[in-house]
Amino acid sequence: MLKQTIKEALIYILATLIIWGVISFISPTKGVLVGKVAYETFLKVLAIIVAVFIIIGLIQVWVGPQRISKLLGKEAGWKGLVLASTIPIFIGGSLFTIFPLLRTLRDKGASIACVMAFIAAWSGKAPLLPLEIEFLGWKFAVLRFCLIIPFAVTMGLVSEFILNKLQRKPKTI
Amino acid sequence: MNIGIIYLLIAFILLILSVVKSPEKTKQALKAAGKISLTVFPVLFLIFILMGVTSVFVSKETIGSWLGSGSGVLGIVIGELVGSFALVQPAAVFPYAGILHEKGANYGSLFGFVMTAILIGITTLPLEMKLFGKKFTMVRNILAFILIFIIALIFKFVL
Repeated sequence: MLKQTIKEALIYILATLIIWGVISFISPTKGVLVGKVAYETFLKVLAIIVAVFIIIGLIQVWVGPQRISKLLGKEAGWKGLVLASTIPIFIGGSLFTIFPLLRTLRDKGASIACVMAFIAAWSGKAPLLPLEIEFLGWKFAVLRFCLIIPFAVTMGLVSEFILNKLQRKPKTI
Repeated sequence: MNIGIIYLLIAFILLILSVVKSPEKTKQALKAAGKISLTVFPVLFLIFILMGVTSVFVSKETIGSWLGSGSGVLGIVIGELVGSFALVQPAAVFPYAGILHEKGANYGSLFGFVMTAILIGITTLPLEMKLFGKKFTMVRNILAFILIFIIALIFKFVL
């Protein structure tokens, strides 16, 4: 696991150096400018990113995706949908980490609506709010945050409706 | 920089509370944070360089006509398509959107880019199909694309 991570890290670093190297080779002045933008952005966000990572680490340990999925597995119907549309806003991770988690949740009996709402709500990304405010402004961040819950509920209900229709068709023929 | 220090302060206060409650769990949390850093920082390095490339090589006129005021509603669709194909770590989405914003992309296109970059991934399609089936994957990705478009219209006309 760790080896794989380090390997991927090295690939990213190498790819970046190649891109930057080629640009600098063709036009040294532009290479310097590219580096300058990258460096200035890095300085601008370093403190924020370190803070965000610490908070995500704490959330992972104290709240934990496993605990959340347990909670969601227990609650069926409307209550489940409400939980699935709100709680995931606060957890981190990428699609690669939440898909397997949701497969287990589905096996334990969570509805399609819940799983769909969960994925949509997870895109709220509350732990990344500091970065969002810094780069896109608080108006954008607040509006996005407010619209995530209706988005998640709609995703859940509409996709379940469509999938049920798709599933039923072959049976009636 | 000031804002960053405030966030760091909040993180450290939470960290201290965590240590008081359970040093063992805090250690795990820091390990998790370290692992996230190892995964995300190299990607950020690439994104920061790509931001430099965008800011040096792509003109305001280009971004403006594709994702800005000159693009109309089509700009949202372009933003969504770019987001769907972009291989971006969620943490890198906002910095990159920031440079597009500086270059004149409007909020509707930016919302489309940000949401699809987080929710729709060409790279995650195989895993999603394996775990949930083809129908689920198709319905989720297409419906998300449409709903994101509708919400992006709100962003375009409100902000």
